[in-house]
Amino acid sequence: MSKTKFPLSRRGAIKLAGAVAVASALPRPLRAAEPIRLGALNPLTGAGGSYGPSMRKAIERTIANVNAAGGVLGRQIELFGEDTQTNPDSAVRAVRKLIDADKVVAVMGTWASSVTTAVAPLCWESKTFLTCVSGSDTITLLPHQGYLVRTQPNSTLQMTELGEYVGSDLGKKRMFILGAQTPFAKTNEERLTEVLPQHGSELIGALVYDKDKTSFRSEVDIAMRAKPDIIFLNGYTPDVTVVMKDLFKAGYEGTRIGPAYSVNNKLLKSLPNDVTQDCYTYAPSPAVDSNAYKRLAEFLNVDDVDPYSSQTNDHAALVILSIARAGEASGTAIRENVRRISQGDGIEVDNVLDGLKHLAAGKEINYTGASGPCDFTDIGDIEDTQFRYEIVDGGKFKTLKIG
Amino acid sequence: MFFELAQLVVNGLVAGTILAVPAIGFTAIYGVLRFPNFAVASHATIGAFAGYVANVNFGIPAWGAVAFAFLIAGLSGVLNDEFLLKPLRPTGPLTTAIASVALVIVLENVIRFFFGNDLRGYDLPIFRDWRIAEIRIGPQQVENIIIAIIAMAILFLFLTFTRMGKAMRAVADNPMLASIKGINADMVGRLVSFVGMGLAGLGGMLIGLDTSIDPLTGFRAILPIFAAAVVGGLGSIPGAVVGALTVGVGEELSIVVLGPEYRSVFGFLAILFVLLFRPRGLLGERAY
Amino acid sequence: MENYLIAMVTFAGIYGIMALGLNVIWGMAGMVNLGLVGFFAFGAYTTTLLTKDFGVPIGLGIAAAFVTTAIAGVVVALVTGRMRGDYLAIVTLGFSETVRITASNEIWLTNGTDGISGIPGPWRGEVSPETFNLIYLGIVAGFVLVVFLIMQRVRYAPLGRVLRGIRDDDQVVAVAGKNVIAIKAKAFALGAGVLGMAGAIYAHYTSYIAPDGFVPLITIYIVLSLTAGGTGSNLGAIVGAFLVVFFMESTRFLTAVVPGLEAVQQAALREFLIGASLIVILHLRPTGLFPERITRHEAPEPPASGAALKERSQP
Repeated sequence: MSKTKFPLSRRGAIKLAGAVAVASALPRPLRAAEPIRLGALNPLTGAGGSYGPSMRKAIERTIANVNAAGGVLGRQIELFGEDTQTNPDSAVRAVRKLIDADKVVAVMGTWASSVTTAVAPLCWESKTFLTCVSGSDTITLLPHQGYLVRTQPNSTLQMTELGEYVGSDLGKKRMFILGAQTPFAKTNEERLTEVLPQHGSELIGALVYDKDKTSFRSEVDIAMRAKPDIIFLNGYTPDVTVVMKDLFKAGYEGTRIGPAYSVNNKLLKSLPNDVTQDCYTYAPSPAVDSNAYKRLAEFLNVDDVDPYSSQTNDHAALVILSIARAGEASGTAIRENVRRISQGDGIEVDNVLDGLKHLAAGKEINYTGASGPCDFTDIGDIEDTQFRYEIVDGGKFKTLKIG
Repeated sequence: MFFELAQLVVNGLVAGTILAVPAIGFTAIYGVLRFPNFAVASHATIGAFAGYVANVNFGIPAWGAVAFAFLIAGLSGVLNDEFLLKPLRPTGPLTTAIASVALVIVLENVIRFFFGNDLRGYDLPIFRDWRIAEIRIGPQQVENIIIAIIAMAILFLFLTFTRMGKAMRAVADNPMLASIKGINADMVGRLVSFVGMGLAGLGGMLIGLDTSIDPLTGFRAILPIFAAAVVGGLGSIPGAVVGALTVGVGEELSIVVLGPEYRSVFGFLAILFVLLFRPRGLLGERAY
Repeated sequence: MENYLIAMVTFAGIYGIMALGLNVIWGMAGMVNLGLVGFFAFGAYTTTLLTKDFGVPIGLGIAAAFVTTAIAGVVVALVTGRMRGDYLAIVTLGFSETVRITASNEIWLTNGTDGISGIPGPWRGEVSPETFNLIYLGIVAGFVLVVFLIMQRVRYAPLGRVLRGIRDDDQVVAVAGKNVIAIKAKAFALGAGVLGMAGAIYAHYTSYIAPDGFVPLITIYIVLSLTAGGTGSNLGAIVGAFLVVFFMESTRFLTAVVPGLEAVQQAALREFLIGASLIVILHLRPTGLFPERITRHEAPEPPASGAALKERSQP
């Protein structure tokens, strides 16, 4: 942190310096090179702990790459990270620190819907931009005045796509949902009830389990008694791991499909291959010919990129590109520019460095990220995106379809 | 309907047997040291991780890994008790209990610091269940039950036939009399911490076999473990077994009555119900 | 930075109110309550449903939160009245988890895990967020003061003396002709009511509540506050709450400067320090920073459990 003698009047000092144009007379001529302050707020402990660390790494590496390439607006980016503890109470205090003490212009990567809803008012009140991966439909309905976008498609969009895939592509007739209690459990169920019949399929039952239990044998029995030909694993990695083991032990031979954020590489690594064999996954995805997803793994220097890390990488890219286009680092500047760099007729770019180059050359860009096209509606939802469907084969994902 | 119910009971008994192992650890420590040691939660996690290291990093098969889990969790239990909890015992059981709650946070984060939050799994195959007259039960469940029963049997033999075991029971039953008889309470305290937390670790590994291993593995199972010990009667080892089977079966049956989303609530209701009629638990508080 | 400090003092104040509530139940009456976050949640949901869905004024909502939670407290006290401390600890822990699980699943009432947002706050939206924070700091400070004064009264009133009697030896009190269960219920009602009120104050401050926010971790923080401050001491409860918030916040800055740590390790280190500090405090000052100081009229003979009493009466 920089030490200023009069920290409270920093902004005033900058204005004064500009007005009187005596920059050379100031004791710190490099004032303009003061770093841009961004915040990361991820679940590093608590129930979301299995996701937060890699989400944070994606943000850190993206920023490190930008800094290595000379930063943005000639300034380096300084990242301030906090832990939500997957708890809205802790997250509110953490975001206070990020906004008021660290003076960040954007907060990136909140995961739990409850955490996002809790910190959102503090962000929009202080004109700080917030990017999240939360799934609850209600989040974008908050009166956030444009200071919030989310890269996770809402339930309506996800379930519409999933219903079509299950009914039309897989030709499954009877779906059963085995899921944890989440903010979107009910909306998912309602949406699938509507969508599946349009594709010659139906939802024959749904069961909400208590996600902290150590086995779900009886729950699996209930699901199997309904004789589904496909079971939708609508939970998170820790509980879906247990459900998959119990489905296998119970001798379930039907199809399973789960979101790629729960059936992810970590899950595949922790389970024997025969347990996960032929499980389907779905995830929002960039278009077929986009290199964003492939490049991200290289860019982040990891072998697997999970959906949430793809999204937080895009968060950092969107925020940085918005700042670059605005020529100014503020929450409002990001709000005004985030749709100008992510959608429209500009040059298609699939990573932050290319985007910065084009912006520096005075061109308009259209960013497509690793998580999808990143086109936002007025309320900050993903407008439309393609989905990537994969199947697990020998402990590895095999892409079946993008569309 | 009959088979559905029977299956629920079987599932409950399987879950209860695994639950019994850490519950015995918890209740044994309570019986001798007279405070609820909440750190059984973190020692279950420690056991799960110790078993993981033994199995995955050193390639030791399940049985060896289980022993390793017992050993490491037991050692951790002795050290933590000796340096962190024992000095507090003169100030009262509650202060010690609160310190053990703090210890839960401390140990969970020590594990997180070194292992991270990633889910891990043992390098062991998972088998399909057997079906015996419509009722299904898995080879792994049977193996878990055998491990749990062997552990309990060893504990039983130890308490019944060895000098140290008898000393432990004596201290649990009447500490004053035991000290008059010249039993070294410190030694007995260390021993019960080792055995109790070792069992918690062993139970943690068994839980890890069914679920996955991360810094919260033990914590997730804590409520039913406490419920088992309390329902059976705090400090009573057979009580912990009875309590664990009650809670295990009860939780499964509650799926039908309360709905699967309320499974955790059953433990709480069971405690309330049992304690209203038997304030000292089903089998009372005699150690054995 | 000022806004951050103001917000943290407000949080500390709310935690302080909770610690005062816990102090009646635990510090004065000696009943362990590891389910205090359940009462906190109960109050928060009460006022939220009343003020948001039925347009009840905020003040009335907070008062209603006190009353309904106090009633819940009486019920819990009557059911658990004859249980010993260790059992009570586990039962109350189960109670708070039951409240949380119910709030997660009864979507029609609580909106489930999605939580309830847009809870009204006094003058929120009419004044700038900074002013709102200042106003709310004032409100919380007022509540802390009032609750503190009431608790001091209780402590030195006949009820407080009987409560300490129950804590130290409830049979003596029973022999003296007091209805122990009824007195315990009174203490539980008062403490639970204060906890519920704290929940209501919290809800109107943050404008959002969800089951995720009512996890046992909050209970641990408050127990930590009271233990650090000194069980039985009202001043200790408040000072302890401030210390805990100060410590939780300062560890953010502390762990950030440790070089070479990954984010998850920093987070682990921070939680580790919070837990370790409590253990250290317990070792250095088992009776807390402000040990209970009661002027005891000289007892001619130390009672049976004399050792413990003697230790406590020596500051």
